[in-house]
Amino acid sequence: MNLLGIAWRNIRQRPLTSGLTALSLALGVALVVATLVTGSLVQRAFESGSGLGYNMIVGAKGSPLQLVLNTVYLISRPIENVGWDFYQEFLPAARRADGIDGKYAASTGVAVPTCMGDYYRSFRVVGTNADFFGRLTRGDGEPFRFTSGENFRDADFFAGVIGATVAETLGLKVGDPFSPTHGADDGKVHDPFKVVGILERTWTPIDRGVFVNMEGFYLQDGHAKPLPDGVEPEVSQALAGEGPAPLSAAQREVTAILLETASLPGLPPELTAMGLRTAINEGGEAQAALPVAEIRQLLDLFVRPLELVLLLVTGLVVLVSALGILISMVGSSLERSRDVAIMRALGARRGHVLATVLIEAVLLAVGGGLAGWVLGHAIVAAIGPWIAANAGVRAGFFSSAPAAEALLVPFLVLLAIAAALLPALAAYRTDVSRWLHGPG
Amino acid sequence: MPPPVIQLEKVRKSFAMPGGERVDVLDIDTFAVASGEHLALEGQSGSGKSTLLNVISGITRPDAGRVVVDGIDLARLDEARRDRVRADKLGMVFQSFNLLPGFTALENVLVAMAFGSGRPDRARAMALLAAVDLGHRLHHRPAELSTGQQQRVAVARALANRPRVVLADEPTASIDAAHQQQVIDLLRTTCTEHGVALVVVTHAPEVSAQFPRRLRLEDFNRAAAVHQR
Repeated sequence: MNLLGIAWRNIRQRPLTSGLTALSLALGVALVVATLVTGSLVQRAFESGSGLGYNMIVGAKGSPLQLVLNTVYLISRPIENVGWDFYQEFLPAARRADGIDGKYAASTGVAVPTCMGDYYRSFRVVGTNADFFGRLTRGDGEPFRFTSGENFRDADFFAGVIGATVAETLGLKVGDPFSPTHGADDGKVHDPFKVVGILERTWTPIDRGVFVNMEGFYLQDGHAKPLPDGVEPEVSQALAGEGPAPLSAAQREVTAILLETASLPGLPPELTAMGLRTAINEGGEAQAALPVAEIRQLLDLFVRPLELVLLLVTGLVVLVSALGILISMVGSSLERSRDVAIMRALGARRGHVLATVLIEAVLLAVGGGLAGWVLGHAIVAAIGPWIAANAGVRAGFFSSAPAAEALLVPFLVLLAIAAALLPALAAYRTDVSRWLHGPG
Repeated sequence: MPPPVIQLEKVRKSFAMPGGERVDVLDIDTFAVASGEHLALEGQSGSGKSTLLNVISGITRPDAGRVVVDGIDLARLDEARRDRVRADKLGMVFQSFNLLPGFTALENVLVAMAFGSGRPDRARAMALLAAVDLGHRLHHRPAELSTGQQQRVAVARALANRPRVVLADEPTASIDAAHQQQVIDLLRTTCTEHGVALVVVTHAPEVSAQFPRRLRLEDFNRAAAVHQR
């Protein structure tokens, strides 16, 4: 039997006190772990959303953060719309009716328009074109893949692609019809679209999106921009020669334009992006936002301080739990004094008894800490589906915040040693003769 | 005459009273216990029995004099070294036996081994307990043992580190007359078998009467004699 064995036996000698102490520590640690992991997931959710194969978002003037939140994360309200003509400025000659390069075409690699404002059940509906899934990439740089079906064709006005969470939540399959509602999930019901593709899970907000062909989107009630009095809409030809005619250019608007900027010869891509952004922002029609910068600012301004506050609160919980160790050990010091005196009389050095008490505290801390770590991860696993559905990030038992979690156990051990120092010193100073010998 | 295993020479120990006055507790010119000897030390309350035991076991350092245990002068050692000598050379049996309540009989013996120079020897601990007829009670805690069985665990524990002397402090004080005889028989038999000297401190004349050598503390501790006057 060594000091570790003696300390372990001391713990088992007081199962209720030791158990409650370890439990309080475990609950504190579970809270810290759950907070750390959830915080890191939230951060990952934002970071994953900020790298979706485009580096700039153009939209109506207003808050750039709102533009990013609305466009990338499919939350918050759209600011306003920008005109179709403005969108055309990003297109090359080959994709424009007038056969002339748009003003910003040289700086643009890919430009994908999005229109927002509709819902299907609680999910956002995004009107876009086939380039969204054909030319943009997922957060990890990989092309979008479909678990079933495929991307919609621009000519197929009433086709849509849905994210993995939407498909799972609503049980939609390829071929199923769905009718978006206007403005809110209980708004006016639009014409039905058909699911032609279900996306593989991306662990980004895309999973929560319903993407429909913007040509069909434009044809819904309330989506055409009113023309000035006296102006007649030009009549367009149907794209494939059949089906409904597309909405005229004069009546079209877009909510945002997702841009992958081009690399101009002799200019680093970052400079191209900055130059384009400045040019757009100096104009009166729209603003350009860099999602990565906005998200970083959001994280720095709100998420990280919030995380810090949560961490401080949970840190206090752990501190209180550590006080539990102190109270438990001070509470049992009378009982311990007699045991310590016996051990000292048997030849234990003062260092032995000091070490035994500290080892006991460390065992409680490590035991409670590990139990808390498991419990914390179990909590994250339990709320994982909710996090996945709402934040669009994978959250399971093994989701972790490695850097912070790695510090947790050493921190706990130090805390336990600090808490146990007082009772350990009391044990160190135990007067053997007072406890063992009779009068005389 | 075998060489002494305990030898005290000109040992003095006094304590400060709350008022600042110092009271002499030990003033011993000479005291020795021979190797393998069995000795009963009689003394009334206040005669310095506990202080003498503490000095011999190295728990307390004397103010002056030599306290030699198996050739080692404890008075010259620091506390940690005295602790080591105590663990290695002395076996202790206390009033009420003072077993560790949370530890089994076997663990109580192993704990004593943990503080000695050797490695804890589980087989030896089991053999010691078997020798006092507790081979079937190894994993029972003190509360699950009878008084007699607890006495035997205490004796086995005292012998854990192959000591040269067993010091027993009032081992019969808190037990009935029937058990008193058992304890004394057990201590003497076991110490004889192991060739270990035995010093039993007692205030009961009927206990000391059973030892070949009996000493009254008042007879060789001048400080005790002063108090008695």
